[in-house]
Amino acid sequence: MKDLHIAAMTLTCAAGSGLDALRASLRNGESGLRRNDYPNCELDTWIGRVEGVENVTLEGDLARFQCRNNQLAALALDQDGFRAQAAALLERHRPERIACVVGTSTAGISSTEQAFRELDEAGEFRPEHVMPWVHTPHTSAAYVAAALGLEGPVQTVSTACSSSAKVFATAARLIESGWADAAVVGGVDSLCLSVLYGFHSLELVSSDPCRPFDRDRRGLNLGEAAGFAIVEPRPQASLGRLLGWGETSDAHHMASPHPEGAGAIAAMRLALERAGLAPDQVGYVNCHGTATPMNDRIETAALRTVFEDPPPASSTKAWTGHTLGAAGITETVFSLLSLGDGFLPASLNCQDPEPDAADFILREGRRQKVDAVMSNSFGFGGSNCTLIMGAA
Amino acid sequence: MNVRLRILGSGLSAPGLPDIDALAAVLAGGELGDEKPGSSSISLLSPRERRRCPETVRLSMAAAEQACSAAGIDPAQPDAVFTSGMGDLAISDYMCRTLAETPELLSPMRFHNSVHNAAAGYWSIGAGARGDVTALSGASDSLVTGLIEAASRVAADRRPVLLVVYDTVADGPMRAVWSPRHPFACAFVLGVADDAEAAIELHAQEGLRQDDCPPLPAALAERSADNPAARALHLLALSLGRGHGPLRLAARQGPGLRIEPAA
Repeated sequence: MKDLHIAAMTLTCAAGSGLDALRASLRNGESGLRRNDYPNCELDTWIGRVEGVENVTLEGDLARFQCRNNQLAALALDQDGFRAQAAALLERHRPERIACVVGTSTAGISSTEQAFRELDEAGEFRPEHVMPWVHTPHTSAAYVAAALGLEGPVQTVSTACSSSAKVFATAARLIESGWADAAVVGGVDSLCLSVLYGFHSLELVSSDPCRPFDRDRRGLNLGEAAGFAIVEPRPQASLGRLLGWGETSDAHHMASPHPEGAGAIAAMRLALERAGLAPDQVGYVNCHGTATPMNDRIETAALRTVFEDPPPASSTKAWTGHTLGAAGITETVFSLLSLGDGFLPASLNCQDPEPDAADFILREGRRQKVDAVMSNSFGFGGSNCTLIMGAA
Repeated sequence: MNVRLRILGSGLSAPGLPDIDALAAVLAGGELGDEKPGSSSISLLSPRERRRCPETVRLSMAAAEQACSAAGIDPAQPDAVFTSGMGDLAISDYMCRTLAETPELLSPMRFHNSVHNAAAGYWSIGAGARGDVTALSGASDSLVTGLIEAASRVAADRRPVLLVVYDTVADGPMRAVWSPRHPFACAFVLGVADDAEAAIELHAQEGLRQDDCPPLPAALAERSADNPAARALHLLALSLGRGHGPLRLAARQGPGLRIEPAA
């Protein structure tokens, strides 16, 4: 396997836009969750909404991509000098040799919802809603490739909540097998009625700020985020190395995880095997940790199975909400920050931890230098992805 | 960039084309029938599951199961790539209408079936596939996207991969952005090509914006022009020894593919 690096990254979510703002939020325990104020949604819950997404306009040729998901992506691309980093990447490689792989679950669906709310008298879309580049799951990668001028393979991964973790594995394969020399990867998911009412219908939404791994947790909060990274074999600077990944399926149920976490366990083990690491070489785990009663219990048991003595671990979802198709990139960026900064974030809002997790779930942020970090992402359809990153 | 692959097996599920034999008959000069793609050919779901599962699941699973059977491979074994431009349009229609009118009444089952990886997830459950089963979209480029992804996996992992290509029909206002009139699903089990064996070669071709493939019988050409997934009919014909190369499959973004029988 080629030695793959993360050459650049950025993240925008409710807890902050750009890495400096996020570092401050993580250190100060400042959650981005707020009482639900999403338009047309009456649910009593908290959400991780990003301020100002609705004010972004996509100009010129990119106007065909105008929707909340791509507006959020545009906001994220504006942070941390990411557009300049992508331009520099285009100096190092031909555009045809740079792949674009983006994960999403919501894609442009908030615009599709609006188009259906505003049908004309014949029951058809009004002309302003006839946007073929928006009403498709592929809108996310298509927009990013167009916005950055990438001309290598373009792919949207849409496997629910594992989507934007899997983009790293996809990029690694495309580079390994010679389809690309480098890749821009990422994930974008935006708030929409489909996921707010959908998770509500499954009785998984909490009316309070979520409390991952707390024994009194009541469910998840939904959030939105966009994040991007450059994956490159020999970058000019490196934020960390992509050491391993494991992608598995539960083969159990569309919406419930395997009761013993078999798929999660297999994903973590595959990632360790590919990284060539023993479990005790992992210094921090960023958990999927959705704060649903079932996820956190099963993930705890899975961690106990893989690690004899689990390393410090936390879920960062009480900062961001569950950003679904963007959860993978969100938590990969947090994991890389902990690797680079030597600061492990707390599992915010976990006051009285699940007994089996009490010895390893971080209730306070901790200064601790680590050499390798793991990030877990598990989704509907039983789709699991674990990533392991190491120091540059 | 070019890569050699072996097609170890293939499958098909579309109106009038319930399997590969039906395609071979049309390629040999027969008429295109009008029978619906049969869910009875799916053995991996119980009759009850077959009735309850979404259309995209029935359509794609029938093709995937045929391809594994033709390849002589246990469906649980290969990693799988499901690629679709639009996913399940009927469920999107239901979700958006319900959210516009009575959001509190949204069906939890329809919600979890609305994820783009529903067909992939049901395949994994039905086949007992515990490896990676992924779900992609490339909008109308989804066939090319899926072929590149599957080819990269075969090269990186050196083992067979199941590729499933499907897209259905919009029955409602989404017709304004998605015009196909016939659903289509097909599947290939792709493997490493040893030198001695019949294989295909995929070449990345930059800036290929227009398909250019040998002609198909009129009824099949119409399907291929109707639904972007059905452009795979050209590759199926090639794999049956009925077409001659090269195929040029365009993409609106990124490279297109030139595909020809390997020398």
